[in-house]
Amino acid sequence: MFDHLVLGLTAALQVKQFLFMVAGTVIGLWVGVLPGLGGPVAMAILIPFTFSMDPLSALLMLASISVGAAFGGSVTSILLNIPGEASSAATAYDGYPMAQQGRAKVAMGLSAGASLAAAIVGVLILMFASGPVAKAALAFSPAEYFALAILGLTVVSVAALGSTIKGLAMGALGIAISLIGIDSILGAERYTFGFVYLLDGISFVPVMVGLFAITELISMILEGGTIAKAGKLEGSLWDGFWDTFRYPFTLIQSTAVGAFLGMIPGIGATAANFLAYSVAQRSSKHPGQFGKGAPEGIIAPEASNNSCIPTSLIPALTLGIPGGATSAILLVAVTLQGLRPGPMLFTSNPELIWGFFMGLLIGAVMATILYLIMIPWFALITIVRIELMAPMLLIVTLFGAYANERNMMDVFVAIFFGLLGYFLRRHGYPLISLVIGLILGKLAEGSFHQALMISDHDYSVFFLRPLSASIFALCLVLVLWPGVKKRLGHGGAEVT
Amino acid sequence: MSIDARVRAYWREEFSLIALLLLFFIAIVAFGYSLPFDARLFPLIIGGAGIVLTLTVALAQVRRRRAGAAAVVDEDDPAAKADWPRYATALLSAPAFGLLFWLFGFIVASLAAMVLIPLLMGYANRRRLVVTAVITVAVLAVIAPYLLNVELPQGVVGDWLIDKLALRAG
Repeated sequence: MFDHLVLGLTAALQVKQFLFMVAGTVIGLWVGVLPGLGGPVAMAILIPFTFSMDPLSALLMLASISVGAAFGGSVTSILLNIPGEASSAATAYDGYPMAQQGRAKVAMGLSAGASLAAAIVGVLILMFASGPVAKAALAFSPAEYFALAILGLTVVSVAALGSTIKGLAMGALGIAISLIGIDSILGAERYTFGFVYLLDGISFVPVMVGLFAITELISMILEGGTIAKAGKLEGSLWDGFWDTFRYPFTLIQSTAVGAFLGMIPGIGATAANFLAYSVAQRSSKHPGQFGKGAPEGIIAPEASNNSCIPTSLIPALTLGIPGGATSAILLVAVTLQGLRPGPMLFTSNPELIWGFFMGLLIGAVMATILYLIMIPWFALITIVRIELMAPMLLIVTLFGAYANERNMMDVFVAIFFGLLGYFLRRHGYPLISLVIGLILGKLAEGSFHQALMISDHDYSVFFLRPLSASIFALCLVLVLWPGVKKRLGHGGAEVT
Repeated sequence: MSIDARVRAYWREEFSLIALLLLFFIAIVAFGYSLPFDARLFPLIIGGAGIVLTLTVALAQVRRRRAGAAAVVDEDDPAAKADWPRYATALLSAPAFGLLFWLFGFIVASLAAMVLIPLLMGYANRRRLVVTAVITVAVLAVIAPYLLNVELPQGVVGDWLIDKLALRAG
């Protein structure tokens, strides 16, 4: 093991690899800041440029983009309430209120601290647990995947802003929207009404842009003034950075949630981001502070998405099963380099694999340093007048919606969801539940059908397997618990 | 707007949203019936669950309204404080930009948005406005095609004009 670490460090610290990592991190930070244009988009655009590179440089540059984008995505979440990356969406719930209080630098310091700690832990897990954990993930049957998807939706709906029942209705709406397009089981067209655009389903990016960016933009125009209400910035970056470590329980818990979910293919950093936020809120001593600028509300989502990215590479590298968009693109890059993902990759190319792992560690530190250097400049956005910023944001966000697929319809979809999201939010319908439903909809349906096919259409498969039965029981407890608690007279602070 | 009028507007919006959700879930179930069994099974479950959940929300809201919950109106609601030009600007900026984007392309739509939205919001420094608009649009016009490899569309009218005047390269 020690030999492998030295081998990896030597490979990753070559000047050429280092420069590719710097370039990747800067690109990642930059695209992470742009709503709608996330790390996977930038990685996909740059894949053709990696053909002529050696495998390690190619992988390190692409991985650095993803690490940088995870950091950059939190910038707009905190400063503008517009997530640059889908996986940073939950960061906005407490990051933005903090920015409104003039404490944007503190919020970004918290984000940097949590991201660095979690990314390092995530890479260490990737290094030392790849083999055994991948084997364990294989034990999950479709019934468990379906149960996990429902659990994800339930946790978010129960803990989300607004009532639980409205949250569940929004989750159902998200799943129902994900059903539009060609059915993955039979290939039947569903709810397309002859529109070619709807054949591939409603793309996730414009919905996100609409629900988060346009909705926020409408509120911003109505309020006017500046994002930082007092028009000035308070607190320092380093206060926030060191504050992260005053919440060790939240940091460890959220890192664990992200790392665990990263290992399960299909769940991804976005779901991890929301789930970690919800879990942190439920386990906090001050759940009522969430949504109002609670430091734990920033630490939880940032730690989870940054630990999720490295661990999502575990099934990708060891089994060839991508955990999400980022690992899928890295897998393509590995294949294009003439390499075959799988256990053999570890024995035939130890220099590449361990160089890549060490590069990810160095990349996390580098992304933190660059992020910290850029924060004071980013924070100035909160004291720019909204009259000037609103149209800029409108242009950039709708450009992001368009650029994803170069499709004008995506712009209209973003606008539609923006207007719908504004009214839903005004009436206490949690938009997170809609987004989670949309993300998990395809996974839920696919697993549901696979489980039924394996069991010869025996519906008891979901309740007879101990693991899936336990997960469903947990869902039931989560839904019923607030009501039971109220009846028992332990209402306390309602989680809103 | 008086408190009573705001409360009435709140409930009108709330029940319109509920009706919209109910209609959507009913459509999911109704249009799902014609699909093959395996393709319709999951939509029927989700649509059915959606209908039940929406009806539960409706019931809860009817009870809340009967209980006379005046607290539904948020004192700090920016929508209630905003005058109608600002409210219209907030709600119509994105659709108007989308329409201009589709008709006249990204550059024309962006310039229009950059100049008109601040003016409608009461921003007075016109020189700064024009400079900011030109710089923002110019930066995006350079970044999009050269760094992101995204060709900016000229819009339906723009394309028609380019074809009419035979300006297209190649």
